[in-house]
Amino acid sequence: MAKWFARKPSAAPGPRPDLEARAKLRIGIPKLLNVWTTHQFWLGFFGALGVPNNRVVFSGDTSEEQAREFGRGRGTVDCCYPVKCGAGHYGELVFGQKRKIDILFSPMIYSLSSFLQGHVADSLACPRVMAGPENIKAGFLKERDVFAENGIRYVSPLVSLAEPAIVPKQLYEALKDVIPGLSYKETRAAVDEGYRTLKGFNTEMRARSREILEWCARENRPCVMVLARPYHMDAGIGHEIEVDLQAYGYPILWMQYFPIDDDLMQWIFGPDMAAGHIKSPFDIDDVWPSSYSANTNEILWGAKVAARVPWITCAIRLTSYECGMDQPTFTPVQQIIERSHTLFFSFQELDSTKPAGSVKIRVETISFYMQQSSERIIEQKQAVTPPGCPLLPQAESKLATAKAELAASA
Amino acid sequence: MAVATDHHYRAYTPAPLTKSDIDEVEILFGGLHWRAERLLQAVFENLGYNARPLPVATKDDLLTGRELADIGQCCPTSFTTGNLANFLRSESERIGAEQVKDRYVYVTAGSCGACRFGQYHQSYELALKNIGMEQFRMFLIDQGQPDQGATAGGGLNINMPLTLGTVWALLAADVVQGLEYRTRPYEVNAGQTDEVVRQCVDELYEVFRNRPAKGEKWGSIVWHLSTNYFVKALREVFRKFEAIEVDRLQPKPVVKITGEFYLQTVEGDPNYNIHRWLEAEGAEVYPAPIAVWLDYLIRFQVQSLEDYVGVDKGARAKVAALKSVQKVFGWTYNRMRAAFGNIPHEMPDQYELRRLAAPYFHHKLSGGEGDMLVGKALWTHLNKKAHMICELSPYSCMPNTMSIGAMAGVIGQYPDLLYAPIEVKGDAEVHALSRCQMILTEAKKRAIQDYVAAMETTGLSPETAKELLAERPEMRRASYRVPHRGAAATAANLLYDLADMTAERNAA
Repeated sequence: MAKWFARKPSAAPGPRPDLEARAKLRIGIPKLLNVWTTHQFWLGFFGALGVPNNRVVFSGDTSEEQAREFGRGRGTVDCCYPVKCGAGHYGELVFGQKRKIDILFSPMIYSLSSFLQGHVADSLACPRVMAGPENIKAGFLKERDVFAENGIRYVSPLVSLAEPAIVPKQLYEALKDVIPGLSYKETRAAVDEGYRTLKGFNTEMRARSREILEWCARENRPCVMVLARPYHMDAGIGHEIEVDLQAYGYPILWMQYFPIDDDLMQWIFGPDMAAGHIKSPFDIDDVWPSSYSANTNEILWGAKVAARVPWITCAIRLTSYECGMDQPTFTPVQQIIERSHTLFFSFQELDSTKPAGSVKIRVETISFYMQQSSERIIEQKQAVTPPGCPLLPQAESKLATAKAELAASA
Repeated sequence: MAVATDHHYRAYTPAPLTKSDIDEVEILFGGLHWRAERLLQAVFENLGYNARPLPVATKDDLLTGRELADIGQCCPTSFTTGNLANFLRSESERIGAEQVKDRYVYVTAGSCGACRFGQYHQSYELALKNIGMEQFRMFLIDQGQPDQGATAGGGLNINMPLTLGTVWALLAADVVQGLEYRTRPYEVNAGQTDEVVRQCVDELYEVFRNRPAKGEKWGSIVWHLSTNYFVKALREVFRKFEAIEVDRLQPKPVVKITGEFYLQTVEGDPNYNIHRWLEAEGAEVYPAPIAVWLDYLIRFQVQSLEDYVGVDKGARAKVAALKSVQKVFGWTYNRMRAAFGNIPHEMPDQYELRRLAAPYFHHKLSGGEGDMLVGKALWTHLNKKAHMICELSPYSCMPNTMSIGAMAGVIGQYPDLLYAPIEVKGDAEVHALSRCQMILTEAKKRAIQDYVAAMETTGLSPETAKELLAERPEMRRASYRVPHRGAAATAANLLYDLADMTAERNAA
């Protein structure tokens, strides 16, 4: 009965925040998995609680040296490298800091606040990715508590970023004994700040991508779209394949940060909506009905974008060894891209070692094909895209033309 | 001018299955063990559908599945994809592809994450395309929706009578399987258990096939919850087990099967026939009831609502309502167990599993069996329900590899827990079984230790025990329940039981 009549967390008066103690905390966050697209949330969140950003320490990029030096002997299972490398990240934060951290904060991100939310079935993280911290933790606890031995509090809350209403509760429960004087009310405000910071960062990244696209459209130049999971941005996981390609002069777009402005979305997906294939620009039901995995959904959506934007003449797919979420999408993604005449290259089975020789040869091949075919691909794709591209000058009048035509056809 | 969109890729959409089609069509399904599939067939037929389970998947199906769908699949995907494709191919050779397209539809479970189980249909679609059967109709049943209504075209209605019939059939199949596995290792006349089980399933098939119609929704729910129809039928078939003579004074290791749903459930090539192999190696198998999985699905929904307690006003009431449904579910299973003399294993309490797993694996981490693999291993070990855990994990299974990793922490704290995680690729049988055999050797020693400890505690020698059993023929029947007296080995529990009975008789 006491539980039934207990006060809600929101009604609790809460303790007084101990800002002085918080300013002295050092929080280590392993830079792995979905932290790659949520890091700004955590900076905004901890910043709002009074932990300065310069006291939030991220582990370095993944590397074989990191795994050798800090993660050796702590692996518990053979799975995909993006999860397996976590032992090195944990180890670096525990053993490799000049100034010791007080808290190792490794969120189990259950779901993500994807821009496709509301248009898809769900926005869950991959089962391995969400459970990664439990798995990595086991390697540091199986013989003795390595965290405690090093004076570190290990905090690993399950966080449903796709459900903002419950995130304050999840984080408050996990942090109330760790952040001095933490109250539920304060946690809720900090969560809001986290979302604001993340949104601000994403908006800025999308604006930069739009600048690149506008330049390509204006100059009629090709660019490359990367279809990959967030952690392939890690130099040790994605092996900087897109960087090698950029060195040949092709601008690179990551689909996670593709601009989603309404004018552009209407221009790209207007014909599909008019034909009744989709209900909104962010609806992927026409190509991927099982739309419950956030990162998978975004890859499929990115493939659709790449198939429709004329200046994206090539899409490259990065996927890690044994990735079970990517596996069923191999054919749909390739089909989506190739049916639009866009070039498609896939780097599969990426693992710990960069296959530098074969990457070099493949990048040369991609560059050759882009050089040979981009002009033709742009023409072919332009022939089936609506007029009034908002990426081009006088876009406004052209958009109006497109809308009028679409309305007429509908 | 409308801009062309026809050249773009679109996902597979099945052609409608209309009400006029349904009489001519046979529904194909599979992925469970034969008892459950046979009873499900009866449920479909009871509702006027023609239905047939696919044959048990084989190694040929595995190879076909790998050949036809994208690389890197987990082995359940390859087995089930190849199983469907090979069946359709063979039927095409027999009656022609056009006939196959019109005569069969495939129905399978779908889900909304988190692992790729919810994406299996993509592999089926690709396989259908690669065998030139893109027009074949396949429908997904959402396992979280009991009353989904009709599929496209209105031919197949996923309604309450179908869902309730399915659940009741699965529970009945579970108790049959539970009793069978507690009997066969000890049967005196080889093959008798299999024969009796076949007869039981045939009779239950008729029971489910003749289930009375009680309306589309509430009438059906009330009837299923209140009727004695199924329990009475189970009591009837239970009597057949009285004919089976058993010798339970054999100290056999009890092996609890856990793992990924498909691999722990099927009996055949997909899991190297591990149930039969273990029995042949001298073990008593503790199988994985499907009921536990269904119970977990309810618990998972409860947990999702619990997250909103204190956030959403109605959440607490919804949690209470759903927990009531879960209690009714457990009560229904226990009624069926009781009809079988409570011999089939009980369902572990889901919240106890969650509590046990909590230090190692968060209860919300979804995909596959979630925290249940850790919870079940600990529950089995701490309550002495089995001597070893055999966890069947498909190669590259995403959720399973995670719980295996977390088990490293469990083993660190419980070093005497005998745990055999078997990675199943489908074509590496010798490696997997020899790995299992190593742990089984230790489990056998523990079964003997249990037996010796029981002899020392009770003062009964095997010879004396045999004499006592000779005086009590009912205890030599498969229908006699040996109560769990704190030992994992059935033989040890029987000694304790005999000692207690003797003491009671002497006191009297």
